[in-house]
Amino acid sequence: MFTKILIANRGEIACRVIKTARRMGIKTVAVYSEADKDALHVDLADEAVCIGPAASKESYLRGDKIIAACKETGAEAVHPGYGFLSENEAFSRTLEEAGIKFIGPKHYSVAAMGDKIASKKLALNARVNIIPGYNDPIDTPEQAVEIARGIGYPVMIKASAGGGGKGLRVAFNDQECHEGFASCKNEAKNAFGDDRVFMEKYVEEPRHIEIQVLGDAHGNCVYLHERECSIQRRHQKVIEEAPSPFLDAATRKAMGEQAVALAKAVNYQSAGTVEFVVGGKDKQFYFLEMNTRLQVEHPVTECITGLDLVELMIRVAAGEPLPFKQEEIKLNGWAMECRINAEDPFRNFLPSTGRLVKFLPPATNMVAAEPMPGAGGVRVDTGVYEGGEISMFYDSMIAKLIVHGATRDQAIVRMRDALNGFVIRGVASNIAFQSALMKNPRFVAGNFNTGLIGEEYPKGFNASDVVHDAPAMLVCVAAAIHRQYLMRNAKISGQMPGHEYRPGEDFVVLLGAGQHAVKVTHAKGGWDVVFAGKTHEVRSEWQFGQYLYQGTLNGEVFCMQVERHGLRYRLYHWGTQADVMVETARAAELQALMPVKLPPDMSKFLLSPMPGLLTQIAVAPGQEVKAGEILAKIEAMKMENVLKAERDCVVEKLLANPGESLAVDQAIIAFR
Amino acid sequence: MHEIIEQLDRKREQARLGGGRKRIEAQHKKGKLSARERIELLLDPGTFEEWDMFKEHRCTDFGMAESKIPGDGVVIGYGTINGRMVFVFSQDFTVFGGALSEAHAEKICKVMDHAMKVGAPVIGLNDSGGARIQEGVASLGGYADVFQRNAMASGVIPQISLIMGPCAGGAVYSPAMTDFIFMVKDTSYMFVTGPEVVKTVTHEEVTAEELGGAVTHTSKSGVADLAFENDVDALLMLRRFFNYLPLNNKEKPPLRPSPDPADRLDYSLDTLVPDNPNKPYDIKELIIKSVDDCDFFELQPDHAKNIVIGFARMEGQTVGIVANQPMVLAGCLDIKSSIKAARFVRFCDAYNIPIVTFVDVPGFMPGTAQEYGGIIKHGAKLLYAYAECTVPKITVITRKAYGGAYDVMASKHLRGDVNFAWPSAEIAVMGPKGAVEIIFREEKSDKALLAEREAEYKAKFANPFVAGARGFIDDVIQPHETRKRICRSLVMLRNKSITNPWRKHGNIPL
Repeated sequence: MFTKILIANRGEIACRVIKTARRMGIKTVAVYSEADKDALHVDLADEAVCIGPAASKESYLRGDKIIAACKETGAEAVHPGYGFLSENEAFSRTLEEAGIKFIGPKHYSVAAMGDKIASKKLALNARVNIIPGYNDPIDTPEQAVEIARGIGYPVMIKASAGGGGKGLRVAFNDQECHEGFASCKNEAKNAFGDDRVFMEKYVEEPRHIEIQVLGDAHGNCVYLHERECSIQRRHQKVIEEAPSPFLDAATRKAMGEQAVALAKAVNYQSAGTVEFVVGGKDKQFYFLEMNTRLQVEHPVTECITGLDLVELMIRVAAGEPLPFKQEEIKLNGWAMECRINAEDPFRNFLPSTGRLVKFLPPATNMVAAEPMPGAGGVRVDTGVYEGGEISMFYDSMIAKLIVHGATRDQAIVRMRDALNGFVIRGVASNIAFQSALMKNPRFVAGNFNTGLIGEEYPKGFNASDVVHDAPAMLVCVAAAIHRQYLMRNAKISGQMPGHEYRPGEDFVVLLGAGQHAVKVTHAKGGWDVVFAGKTHEVRSEWQFGQYLYQGTLNGEVFCMQVERHGLRYRLYHWGTQADVMVETARAAELQALMPVKLPPDMSKFLLSPMPGLLTQIAVAPGQEVKAGEILAKIEAMKMENVLKAERDCVVEKLLANPGESLAVDQAIIAFR
Repeated sequence: MHEIIEQLDRKREQARLGGGRKRIEAQHKKGKLSARERIELLLDPGTFEEWDMFKEHRCTDFGMAESKIPGDGVVIGYGTINGRMVFVFSQDFTVFGGALSEAHAEKICKVMDHAMKVGAPVIGLNDSGGARIQEGVASLGGYADVFQRNAMASGVIPQISLIMGPCAGGAVYSPAMTDFIFMVKDTSYMFVTGPEVVKTVTHEEVTAEELGGAVTHTSKSGVADLAFENDVDALLMLRRFFNYLPLNNKEKPPLRPSPDPADRLDYSLDTLVPDNPNKPYDIKELIIKSVDDCDFFELQPDHAKNIVIGFARMEGQTVGIVANQPMVLAGCLDIKSSIKAARFVRFCDAYNIPIVTFVDVPGFMPGTAQEYGGIIKHGAKLLYAYAECTVPKITVITRKAYGGAYDVMASKHLRGDVNFAWPSAEIAVMGPKGAVEIIFREEKSDKALLAEREAEYKAKFANPFVAGARGFIDDVIQPHETRKRICRSLVMLRNKSITNPWRKHGNIPL
């Protein structure tokens, strides 16, 4: 076994690998860019080496610097994590030549699976189902139509070098095929400089289901069941789970065996993932590609199998044989993972960067690299800490929230609770969106495909998409909090003797447009709230200023987040953000007389989409501007952002000056 | 006897209606509450004792003898806010447009005199069209009587004005002399001369809202301390604000127990100050994470944002917070921020409220606008305020404390009681770059040498230890223990007693 390994990665995955290595008694070396010098992975590792400036291509993608760091520290092997150099064949070969082990597949396996067309051919030979299609580059539109007829419509036209939704066309008939071919080829040429285009059957209601495989250097290879990764937004996975709610045992076995056959065909010696697309209508599955690395979503597999994939990767790389056979691999309970990203779901998922003013993950009872508790639980994989920074240089993932339960329903309940208890402030997060998905009826029923998010939120994600299931909870908690504040006010010094303040028990709770009369009385360990004829028992040890309101409501454990904004309590629960006001009946009566102030019509303003420095205003008052013309430039995080006119307009007034620091949503220009 | 008692009830009922139901409805339609409704919300329920309900004006000109309404346009009395005594006057717009008559002024003077006698704050709810023109000079005299009392009460009992309607002409000068002014958005305005006069005299076209609305006075002029959405918000928030203030200048500020541990550590503060000295950070994060329950009541948040002021509590005791804000103008001191902070420091000093100062200041703002505007005198206000101040003063230097601004910001030399510095503090005459360019003027052309000198200077002076060696800093502390160290210092200083030499009053550079 190795005595020291280097982790050629950053963030949560670096931290996660370090934890396993430490448990195995292996010393760890972290590498970091200048932007990451205070990062958690640097702190956790036994040693750390700086490998260059912030930009990945000058640091984390520099194989030469990483090899130098190995030599400097005496690391015997390198774990690449995912991304960066994890599937770089040249890097693993150079490592091998330098006498350093690569904790991952052999370079020839990586190479064999690297090219989409070549890997399909390999799969075909290994008798793996592949999508009916034409695996050679197609030259002319006529040829394309002919091939499409042979496959049967609908078909998909794909660029060989394509990805991320680019270079893709779907055709349902000859004409669409003819046109689609031409535009796809064109786009591929422009975008990737590689205009090879091929064609395959278009799978309707496709689900993305992948098989985790694991091979060793002794010819053993097993599959660790599947992961369902169909919940995607713009081809980015959002939620992953294992097992899939869609597969039956027979399909699982068939997919697993084909995945193993493919892995064996390339002498695969590590953890890898074989991706399949599965037809939601016919359960037919087809091979897509193989990822020759550890995946982001590997923890869900660890939960259901009770195995530590990183440990197994290290053992295999050190030459040990797999310690189990296929029949011994468990499928225990249900696991789910939410990717918690620094993006604002209410602003079209605009990435958010900056300081993590508050970062309080939910209580966990599972950690990476340790045996899972029998009853499952909650695990958080992260590479950040409170006071840390979400940098613009790397991906926007803040953490992975993983839950494990006996059943899928239990896992969902756990995930909802865990999301409620995940406090992130300073940067925006997609927690509200994840919470909304967790109660989406199609998701809950397991009835979805890769199009779910686009279909359920066609106009993007809005606050109105998250209506609270049980507003009584919000009413009761707000009332209890308010009473707690008033009780404390009653303890202030300097009161008129004998005429001290006694807070009342009757209040009106204003939630949305509703007014709810409640009576709040002190009870042991909390408050009794009489609301709509029923007594609700709120029990909590919450104290002023705490973000988390944890306790029980009528005996059921719950957790909410609370902030006080002026007179209102802002409650966060199940994805809903509610501003609640609690006041006396008289105050509520008078409040009803107050004018409703409509928020100003901001469509006539250019607003700053992000905090930053206004570097330039390109227009003057009175100027007519055509759609697409540049209005202003903002520098944020050293990046210049150009703000353009969305439609034709006339400038009325400039509301900010170049050189000014702008807050998000600050008005820059008023239009007529 | 029965009938007489009933007569009282009837008279009261009539007086309570002020200008009548119709006018109250009109007031509601404007989004405003009536004078008595406002008092109801402001005070603890059932605690208001009204005086002079039946007082009437004595004017006989212009047919006023026939037009008398009990109360004469202002409701006065006392009650409690969270059990603590407060005197109130609330102008009634439904009665003669809240215009101030001689009798009206006498009522205001009455509560103020009582408040002074017993040592309790006065809150004025202003909603008045101005002077009662029919009364002529008697009305003007009434204003002056109030002004005189405002001046006498200043520094003796806290005075708070909440502008809830028009407040124009001479009337503005009573609120102007009180300690805090709050306004209601869209329904209140304050100006010395209204839009029409402005148009005739200066030919400027401006709306009342633009000229003297709540937004104008909380962002541009700094006349008002806070603006609220509506009457209810304003009155209920005023209750919360009142909890911070002592009743008079002889009392300590109130204590309100907090469950927040004094020794709570916050490790996220260790990364608050960025490595790059030119990168800003939000000083409010430090304030919020240091005070009880993360609860900070900020004043003037939209005016002179380069300095942050407001109230908070430490171990239940009120403290005044003053902090440079690196996010705005790099946190430098200019005319507006100096005036803003100076007035706040003097309020705290007058009412025995300890002051916690967080310092990250690169210096005074340069430029002709500042010099012509008199930054010398205005900057001196803050210097004077800190220097004369005798309440406990705790200072925490987080990063820059350069030049004269270092002296000003509650330095040890201005009788700062406890001065802490974070390890990131740089206490020096100026930043390394500027300093090197002056000290090594002859080597200016040699860029490489200059860079070397800069690094040398940085290593030598850009730290808290040079000041520490002289005792100008009592201790260099870890950012995460800031709350604990401040709390302990405040307890240590609880019985602090120093007095300034006797004098009629100091001569602050006004």
